[in-house]
Amino acid sequence: MANTKIDEKLQKIAKDLLESGEVSLIIGYAKGSNPQRMRPVFITKAEEAGKLSFSHYAVQDLAVFLKKPEVKKFGKIGIVVKGCDEKAVNALIQEYQISRDNIKIIGIECNGVIRQNLADKGETGVSESTVYDKCLICEEHIPVLYDFLIESEEPKLALSGNVKPYYGIEKLESMSAEEKNAFWAKEFDKCIKCYACRQACPLCYCSRCIVEKNMPQWIDTNSEETGNAQWNLIRAYHLSGRCIGCGECERACPVNIPLMLINEKMAKDVYNLFGYKSGLDINAKPVFGVFSESDFNDFIK
Amino acid sequence: MEEKYFEISAENLKKFVESIIADNFEVIAPTDKDGDTFYGKISRFEEANLDILLPKMSYKEYILPKTETLLEYSFSGVDTDIKDGLEAVAGANEKRVIFGGRPCDAGAGPIMEKVFNWDYKDEFFNERFKNLTIVSIACEKPDNYCFCTEMQLSPESSYGSDILLKKAGDKYFAVVTSEKGLNLINPYMNLFKETTKAQVPGDKDWKKLFEIERTKNFLDKNFEHNYFQDRFLSCIGCGVCTYTCPTCHCFDIQDEGNLKEGRRIRNWDSCQFGIFTLHTSGHNPRVTQGDRYRQRLMHKFKIYSEKFDKYLCVGCGRCSRNCPEDIDIKEVAKDLADMA
Repeated sequence: MANTKIDEKLQKIAKDLLESGEVSLIIGYAKGSNPQRMRPVFITKAEEAGKLSFSHYAVQDLAVFLKKPEVKKFGKIGIVVKGCDEKAVNALIQEYQISRDNIKIIGIECNGVIRQNLADKGETGVSESTVYDKCLICEEHIPVLYDFLIESEEPKLALSGNVKPYYGIEKLESMSAEEKNAFWAKEFDKCIKCYACRQACPLCYCSRCIVEKNMPQWIDTNSEETGNAQWNLIRAYHLSGRCIGCGECERACPVNIPLMLINEKMAKDVYNLFGYKSGLDINAKPVFGVFSESDFNDFIK
Repeated sequence: MEEKYFEISAENLKKFVESIIADNFEVIAPTDKDGDTFYGKISRFEEANLDILLPKMSYKEYILPKTETLLEYSFSGVDTDIKDGLEAVAGANEKRVIFGGRPCDAGAGPIMEKVFNWDYKDEFFNERFKNLTIVSIACEKPDNYCFCTEMQLSPESSYGSDILLKKAGDKYFAVVTSEKGLNLINPYMNLFKETTKAQVPGDKDWKKLFEIERTKNFLDKNFEHNYFQDRFLSCIGCGVCTYTCPTCHCFDIQDEGNLKEGRRIRNWDSCQFGIFTLHTSGHNPRVTQGDRYRQRLMHKFKIYSEKFDKYLCVGCGRCSRNCPEDIDIKEVAKDLADMA
């Protein structure tokens, strides 16, 4: 496939960054195993920058690699990001996992990426019924922070309003506690404890996850009712106020648990209670890392 | 048992499936669920999706459950009561049929059986495996992630199936390879018509893209090759490849309980996790994700075949289709073969 103008811009930026020595690694996208897939690529030599590409099949959140020890070793890193993924970079900076000085952000204006299971079946068009729900509520088509910006040449995503993003949250909110329990019991029953949700998450960076701690054993190891519920609930809490909504956990889940209903619900509640959205400002203090006198306290009876 | 051959019309196949359901068999078939296709219990023939190439997950869980209780214990006073988990497994799968799976999935069973019967005989595995009846359907159109032919099987292989169905127009030919298969269809013999091997259409000439022996040759000599570290920098260690794989069988034995009661269980585990090889000392012999993916390749294409004469891979391609970072094992195996 021929390079698009976006690819050319991307390759030029990467080549310059590598040649000048400003970074020693560029994490970006390259063509994947079929024409409807893209995959992460790691470029260390300027002459390899021609592999870089971008399209509406670029589903991965590449910020996940910033937590990887093998990648951290490269020191100064350039990263290609969509608006959603970039928020993960911000959250990592906020939480002192990476330094702003060590990262060059190559932001791409994105109008939505096609759901991978649809793309695999041959879907080629970006529309409100083919992109992820996160794209429908996206307010960061242009990343909030970048060193370089590549603007889109494609039309904006047209929204008719007929497709309700995260409709499941509304449905859940209208349910009784018993109904909610039944809903999640059925979903968590599918969980096989592969922890792909954790691994695919750019913000799950603990070097030793709570499920791997066994003195004491905080979380039951079984992948039955108790263990699965404990795992999925602890993950929900550990990500509330932090999740930036890239949806990689749900995409990686091999048994299709609607994990974004949990994450989005938590994000929505955090916004309603604290007026905070994760990943928008590298200078903001993480919401659960600060105490403010204006925090609500009506739960104290 | 010597193979037997039957003909069955599409209409009678439907009747056959509905009859066994009516006779209290639990029929597990590819069925549409949550926006994809998974193996699951069907209550009507129409619920089976026989057009899909492969469900997202394999049916490994029916032979090796994701969590299995090995024993339960309880204390009362000075008495200790121990209950063998095997009691609950006795007869499991006797009334369960996997219908509409593919030759790759079926091939996984006898391959895994080898490691579960090598020195220690794993009674849990054996009890489930010996009772499960597998009725597969030959593939007509493998996709680009499939490589069963390279893995010494084929889209039409009957290895591991009790019955293999081969579609021919609006009817099927049934190749029955085992007593278990014959016992399943016997009560419904009026729906089948016995025929001869000569009447069953021969297998197509499926082409190989590479020779797996060459992949092994590369692995034999190149443990420290840079390819592993470079190529698998994009691996996030999610383990989806191993959990969706029909042949990956690693498990972790854990105790859950308290001072009064508890149980010993085994859960699925994955060589893609850093903690998998972490020693108590803190040392980890597999430091990078490159080391870990290399281990998966070594186990599948080298170590297992040296010990058990079979590669630990049936070429179903699930690990490639399901990899969030688009690592394609067929492409990798071919890369290695090309470098050998």
